Amino acid sequence: MSATSEQTAETLRDQKAREAYFTASQRQLVWARFKKQRAAMTAATVLIVLIISGILAPFLSPYDPTIAGRNKDYMNGAPNVPMFCDKNGCSFRPFLHTIERERSIKTNFRWVETINEDKRRYVQFLVEGSEYKLFGFIPAKTHLFGISDGYIHLFGTDATGKDIFSRTLHAIWTSLQVGSIGVFIAFVLALIIGGVSGYYGGWIDSVLQMVTDAVRTVPAIPLFMAIAAFIPQEWSAEMRFFFISLILGLIGWPTLARRVRTHLLTERNQEYVLAAQLCGASSGHIIRRHLLPSFTSYIIVDLVISFPYMVLSETALSFIGLGLKDPVNSLGVMLQNVTSADVLLNYQWYFIPVIFFITLVMAFVFVGDGLRDAADPYSDASK
Amino acid sequence: MKQLAQFAMIRALFAMLTLVIVSLIVFTLMELVPGDCAERYLAFKNTQGSGISVQDIENERIRLGLDKPFAQRWVFWIVNAFQGEFGNSCILRVDIAQLLGTKFWLSLGVCLASLALAYTIAIPVGIISAASRSAMMNNSLKFISYLGLAMPNFLLALLIMLFSTVYFGDTLTGLFSKEYRDAPWSFDKFIDLLKHAWLPIFILGWSATAFALQTVRALMSDEIGKLYVTAAAARGVSGRKLLWRYPARHALGPIVNSLGFDLNRVFNELPIVALILTLTDAGALLIESLARSNDQQLAGAIIFLLTASIVALNFFTDLLLSVLDPRIRKSIIR
Repeated sequence: MSATSEQTAETLRDQKAREAYFTASQRQLVWARFKKQRAAMTAATVLIVLIISGILAPFLSPYDPTIAGRNKDYMNGAPNVPMFCDKNGCSFRPFLHTIERERSIKTNFRWVETINEDKRRYVQFLVEGSEYKLFGFIPAKTHLFGISDGYIHLFGTDATGKDIFSRTLHAIWTSLQVGSIGVFIAFVLALIIGGVSGYYGGWIDSVLQMVTDAVRTVPAIPLFMAIAAFIPQEWSAEMRFFFISLILGLIGWPTLARRVRTHLLTERNQEYVLAAQLCGASSGHIIRRHLLPSFTSYIIVDLVISFPYMVLSETALSFIGLGLKDPVNSLGVMLQNVTSADVLLNYQWYFIPVIFFITLVMAFVFVGDGLRDAADPYSDASK
Repeated sequence: MKQLAQFAMIRALFAMLTLVIVSLIVFTLMELVPGDCAERYLAFKNTQGSGISVQDIENERIRLGLDKPFAQRWVFWIVNAFQGEFGNSCILRVDIAQLLGTKFWLSLGVCLASLALAYTIAIPVGIISAASRSAMMNNSLKFISYLGLAMPNFLLALLIMLFSTVYFGDTLTGLFSKEYRDAPWSFDKFIDLLKHAWLPIFILGWSATAFALQTVRALMSDEIGKLYVTAAAARGVSGRKLLWRYPARHALGPIVNSLGFDLNRVFNELPIVALILTLTDAGALLIESLARSNDQQLAGAIIFLLTASIVALNFFTDLLLSVLDPRIRKSIIR
């Protein structure tokens, strides 16, 4: 008796699962497949953490990332690692030792640091500090952490005494912004050009493809350099920023446009489109209700995949010195700082932003890859 | 044979047309740079102490032919460009063709060598990894190739240079030793070049390999599941013979086809690597001509040459493919 009821319960559950599968929307299916991939899920978590820390950068970072927030007594300073225990015992609140810097005849006029191990400076949370605008409009001055006396530099400081931790967080945000604007412009152009080319076909398609191919053969970074050279030196950091994003967008569209076109060309000859046409649907209705949903997932995947290339291009441009420049904190600017031999030999903490950069790009690539597999309806069948 | 010649003609025509469109883009960009050659030259003269007037600028413009309409100058430029003449550089005042000459061929050689390196590694490794079922191997390969993508190659260059400076006492910069830099070509100079060129080739090849590996693997895993492979396996073909004779032949087609765009990607990285390794090849010249002096004549020439070599490579790969695969010949000529 009990065995049969168990059996019916199981078949019921089984049936429900199957029903859920067959009635699931496209989005639910993609999510279900995405969840199964461990690498992509890990990358997604990392990516979300990075994006959130980018958005909340002013709150999470203890100091202003510009020259205003510099610590002029601690230039090219090594990272401070908060500790819980020292020879005088332990404490629940992490602390730092006091560093005294001295320059006199005794030290041959060079800065010499001595650590005073008896004096402790405690890390404090939610401290009041420099003013900033959260999300760009909420004025605030609370920072997640600070220290009771002096400064704390988790990642050390650069040549002007700016806190590298604060700069890195702000840089992530800037690079994400440049990437988003670039991807958005490229996307709109690709949708228009690829859409026209794919929907009309014929000679319009041939001409547009010719132009797209020509743009695609021009090596992008040399071309970036040619355009970036137009930027007058006296432009403000913000103007430069938008100009760079614009360039990235203007050069990044051909690959996306080609994909949109290919999708449209194959989709518009499908039977379901013909069926809709025979039922008397207008072309607007067909495009909106049938064609667009058939490839939105591909487009989203393409956007995610093209994102790291935008970030990489921005970095390359800033690295050569033609992109963003020092007062702005972007990952490219941070990377540019590591190139001197002095840094390599003496100030290795300059490399910490590089790790963030690699992590960001890798996270994007893995998420894009996972999404592509998840959006492909045949990925299950092949296994 | 006749079909092949016809195909080659059509492809050559397309390549020319692409180059003309590219030249229009490049030329327009050159025109958009604020100020022109005449102003730049006279501004330079001005710093030398000789006073100049608006009239001087106008005269110089007429001398350089800058007073003619845009379309006419473009036609003039493109006709000359096809003959390998790019006029004089705005700032350096030297003939560009002469200035670039060997430098350009050297950088092209380095780029092609790094592409060759990339594919010698990527093709066998990609095919093997697609055929293997080991998740461990596939995941680690995936990770390595993504790292090749994400790790900026200037960082790699820096690390290698640092390492060699500390351990070998050689900075590894440049393409030639001092004594060979201005020497005429000889066998010794060539050997010297090889001694220096491996580093840029390796660094440029590093990310190209990562990319190629991914492409080869993806194409192979698509092909390997197809029915004709199963059929061949059922007929008793197995092991390496099965892989190379059936799926690999199909998978390599698109790869040959995309070589031109791979060259494009290598060119993208060339200026950055050149900057770090202080190579005086076309890439570094480009940076100099743009960042320091806005020398549009020189920059335009370099971009045009880079694009022309990509288009040329595309043309040759198309020919190669059509020799290998008769279906491709037919698809163009209907």
